[in-house]
Amino acid sequence: MNIPLLDVTGLYKSYVGVPALENVSFRLEAGTVHALCGENGAGKSTLMKVIMGIIQRDRGEIAVKGKSVHFISPRQALDEGVSIIEQELSPVPDMTIAENIFLGREGPGLSPFINYRSLNRRAGEILATLGVDLDPRTKMKRLRVAQTQLVEIAKALSYDSDIIIMDEPTSAIGAREIEKLFSTIRRLKAAGKGIIYISHKMDEIFDIADTITILRDGRIVEGGPAADFDRERLIRNMIGRKIDTEYVKNNVPRNELALEVRGFTRNGEFSDINLSVRRGEILGIFGLMGAGRTEFLNALYGVTRADSGSVYLGGEKVRLTAPRRALRKGIAYVTEDRKESGLVLVRSVADNISMAALRELSPFGFVQRRRELAKVDEMISRFSIKTPSSGQLVKRLSGGNQQKVVLGRWILIDPEILILDEPTRGIDVGSKHEIYSFISDLASEGRAVIMVSSELPEIVGMSDRVAVFKEGHLAGVVDRDNVSEETLMSMAV
Amino acid sequence: MKRLVTVLVVLSLIVGGAFAQAKKQYKIGAAVYGLKAEYMRLWTTALERHPDVQSGLVKITVFDGQYDASVQQAQFENMVVQGYDAILFVPIDINAGAQAVATAANAHIPVIGSNTRVKSDQLTSYIGSNDVLSGNMEAEAVAKAIGGKGNVVILEGPIGQSAQIERRQGNLEALKKYPKIKVLEMKTANWSRAEALTLMEDWLNAYPGKINGVIGQNDEMALGAIQAIKQAGLNVKKFPIAGIDGVTDAMIAVKNNEMVSILQDATGQAQGALDLALRAVIGESYKPKAAFWKDVDWGKTMQKQYSVPWVPITQNNVDNLLSERQALTNR
Amino acid sequence: MSERERVSAKAEMSSRDQGKDGEARLKGIISEYGIVLVFFLFCAVLAFASPYFLKPKNLINVLRQVSINGLLSIGMTFVILTGGIDLSVGSILAFSSVVAASFVSTAFPGRTEAAPIGIAILASMGVAAVLGGVNGILVSRMKVPAFVATLGMLSMGRGFTFIYTDGMPIPKIDPSFLVIGQGTIFGFVPLPVVIFIIAFGVAWVVLYKTRFGRYVYAVGGNEKSAKVSGINTKLIIFFVYVISGVLAAIGGLILTARTTAGLPQAGQSYELDAIAAVVIGGTSLSGGQGDLRGTLFGALIIGVIGNGLDLLGVSSYYQQVIKGAIIVGAVLLDSFRKRND
Repeated sequence: MNIPLLDVTGLYKSYVGVPALENVSFRLEAGTVHALCGENGAGKSTLMKVIMGIIQRDRGEIAVKGKSVHFISPRQALDEGVSIIEQELSPVPDMTIAENIFLGREGPGLSPFINYRSLNRRAGEILATLGVDLDPRTKMKRLRVAQTQLVEIAKALSYDSDIIIMDEPTSAIGAREIEKLFSTIRRLKAAGKGIIYISHKMDEIFDIADTITILRDGRIVEGGPAADFDRERLIRNMIGRKIDTEYVKNNVPRNELALEVRGFTRNGEFSDINLSVRRGEILGIFGLMGAGRTEFLNALYGVTRADSGSVYLGGEKVRLTAPRRALRKGIAYVTEDRKESGLVLVRSVADNISMAALRELSPFGFVQRRRELAKVDEMISRFSIKTPSSGQLVKRLSGGNQQKVVLGRWILIDPEILILDEPTRGIDVGSKHEIYSFISDLASEGRAVIMVSSELPEIVGMSDRVAVFKEGHLAGVVDRDNVSEETLMSMAV
Repeated sequence: MKRLVTVLVVLSLIVGGAFAQAKKQYKIGAAVYGLKAEYMRLWTTALERHPDVQSGLVKITVFDGQYDASVQQAQFENMVVQGYDAILFVPIDINAGAQAVATAANAHIPVIGSNTRVKSDQLTSYIGSNDVLSGNMEAEAVAKAIGGKGNVVILEGPIGQSAQIERRQGNLEALKKYPKIKVLEMKTANWSRAEALTLMEDWLNAYPGKINGVIGQNDEMALGAIQAIKQAGLNVKKFPIAGIDGVTDAMIAVKNNEMVSILQDATGQAQGALDLALRAVIGESYKPKAAFWKDVDWGKTMQKQYSVPWVPITQNNVDNLLSERQALTNR
Repeated sequence: MSERERVSAKAEMSSRDQGKDGEARLKGIISEYGIVLVFFLFCAVLAFASPYFLKPKNLINVLRQVSINGLLSIGMTFVILTGGIDLSVGSILAFSSVVAASFVSTAFPGRTEAAPIGIAILASMGVAAVLGGVNGILVSRMKVPAFVATLGMLSMGRGFTFIYTDGMPIPKIDPSFLVIGQGTIFGFVPLPVVIFIIAFGVAWVVLYKTRFGRYVYAVGGNEKSAKVSGINTKLIIFFVYVISGVLAAIGGLILTARTTAGLPQAGQSYELDAIAAVVIGGTSLSGGQGDLRGTLFGALIIGVIGNGLDLLGVSSYYQQVIKGAIIVGAVLLDSFRKRND
């Protein structure tokens, strides 16, 4: 019997008491492509990081080619013949393609001089196998995202490892390159290498994979030869779970249109989005990573500019060229990453809550402190924000309470339209429930709510209608009556 | 923790400084405009060699004005508070310095100007060398050396300092007598050798073959010009170059026939100033100690102005002057 | 919030804070008031070391000498709070001061009699506002890093100063102007100190009581969040550089009046002392954290050290070493404090 290239047994990994991987076992045979599927947050990236030595496991065994290993750095993994094409591209922009590919291993021996001719030649060879027509002396910053991804692939291939992990390798490239990549993968298979292929693109998985394993909430739920699977079974296993969170829904959409978007396009991010939201309605937006949802919201709110398309508020055309204009029109935006663009961590809870409302709170330029504090206290109690005082620095609050601070800020300005991007990300179950009831209350007060989420149960449970984004396009809009997790997922992949 | 260490360091410096002030002596402050160039360093060293300083009768504190008039102003204010007995002043700016003098005068502290003038009639006395005369002398030397016709460039001191104003006056007066001599460029290099070097390089490029002579209002700048000429591959001995002050490197250059210079008697100016300050504080019973009073009249009462003579540096006296300089700067 | 909720809120806070309440409180006091304590410590040491230090005349001197750097530091605080820096304040001070001098001096070419001092003041503040505005536009709109933009202005401003004056100082300032630097209130409080106190008071109100002040902190704390919250971040950044320039001009007016001449060499390296005061005072260079009180004491500490060492006859080179050590010490203390958060 063949020794598997990679044998993972009983892997456990937790972050601060929250389990990310539980009892994961996984096997990669030589000469095969083993696909790994799962939703966002299922644990795929965590598993790969543990294998690559980027993070350390809590428990469990990993064996490479029969030898038990414990990598504490990616360097060790590379030395043992494991390489990875990461999802997040991070090239060195001012260096050339060849330099990036061979970064850290520019030449044999101790010579301080780099033999550029040899470097460029070798780089050119690898690029040629991928069918990429690029001069290896080109600087990375000149490349488009698709080309950058190809270089990243070339880099992983240049290690000539026995085990190659590919994490969403085709998220940015086109059909022709995908074909070239696949023929390279087939060649690698024939040479006895093993490939772990992570992707949410069903077509690709069925095209290239020999084995499929499905991860859900940190556990392996199913696995087997690819031939035994079809789309339906795959999706069902990715999603299927007991719905243990109760969603609160007590709003009824009205007939007036609050917001309408036509032909919204931003090159390279999303195109021709047509959406509308009614007053009192919760419009969910679902899509996988890279689908363009957050990009769409940013352009809608004026953080970035759309290239074409128009926005109508209550029937009237508006130009939302900057967030402050959207704000004045009564639109609020809870961003995806509260630490990056939502909160000012070094300021107090009070400062953060009142931030968007300062204009009303300071009629002659001077802040009416008493009024401000009263309103802040109102929000603290309305959202049950747990903080010893409103002067507490917001960075000390738990994730759930931080999110409530952001909500408090936006509700304070009494918006007509509330946009939420992943409102319950990284939040404990209890706070999630609270937030769902807030959202529902806000909608039933007559506001229009747009909620973007990659958590299917959440979207299904809360929305009146769901718009599905797929690779920058609108795949469709589904009514509450017709919505289900499977439907949405199949539209999104 | 780090801050605590810093505080301790400061503490020890301060306490150390406090203990350095032992017995009551005459406290005299020397406010000089800056110590980057050699001349003021010679001046300061000469001051500290004054017999009364060596004997402990006088405690000298040197205040470096860092080429900033407001710093000198603040230093004067501090000296007033501490009740200094007298102040020796070498100002950076001829006008701004008047304010500082007034501050001291209002507190009845005598101020003796030295080396550089200040536009104030509240000065108790001034001892310096006639800069118009030296400007005159050096320009004459260059003019004669180029045969009374041709192009010259002039490197100036900081604009607004009395030495620059007066030496320029002397330069231009002398050159007026030679209508066939044209001043191609006249720019400040702020008494600095490095600045003069850059300036001269640029001029050599802008006027190739056209510059016949160089007048540096001080030695440092003349030396910078010499460097520039050498680095341009030209024969420095073909360029008559003149400087003023008599700093050590210039004397060596004179010995090598690369330039001519005029010695400014730093010892005379510094020690003479201190003599005058002590005269103001102690009274006419005080007898002066500086060497140069042999040639200049001490007088029955204090005059407003004392002139320290210039000494042109020639091949004849340069060796003597060099050994005198050695004696001064060696401990 | 009920008592129970408050208790459970404390429980939700980071576990490191729990149980270390007493120690945390002491640390809190030190970090809040640390700068004030250090200042008084220095004063105590100096009072012991030199009999002249506590003399009223000396204390007044110190305050007067601190006022120019104090004004620059106020402006620098605003700029650094937004996460920026202004290296050009020394040059702006110089340029605006020669502009002012040129209006009130009969020695300036083309001027036969001194203009009213009001005109001189307005002109110099106007010119400084323009230069500060250029900085502001470069940083806020053209996305030039503040360090680079103001470094460029440092050079340009100095250049403008020399061009305007042809390299020469402007003497013969009309006596009526000199009162700015030399006048006193109640017979003993120097006018520069009064000007500084007024400027400080205005800055205090603006920073802590107005919307604009809040926005400054927000922009510095997280520019993206501020923008999403509807704050016109570009405008805020623009204005703090204008403020910095105008305060430099006021400093320049005082300097000119004190030295009785418009000096093109003035203000060289003044930005370093201003930055030092702000940093010693605990304002973070990354923005969003810090306060004016810290800056005030930072400037006072610098002034007191300079004065004290002068009184003891210690060379100015030691002063520079000590100043540098304090700056580094202050920043280390600050980052140490932050790491424990």
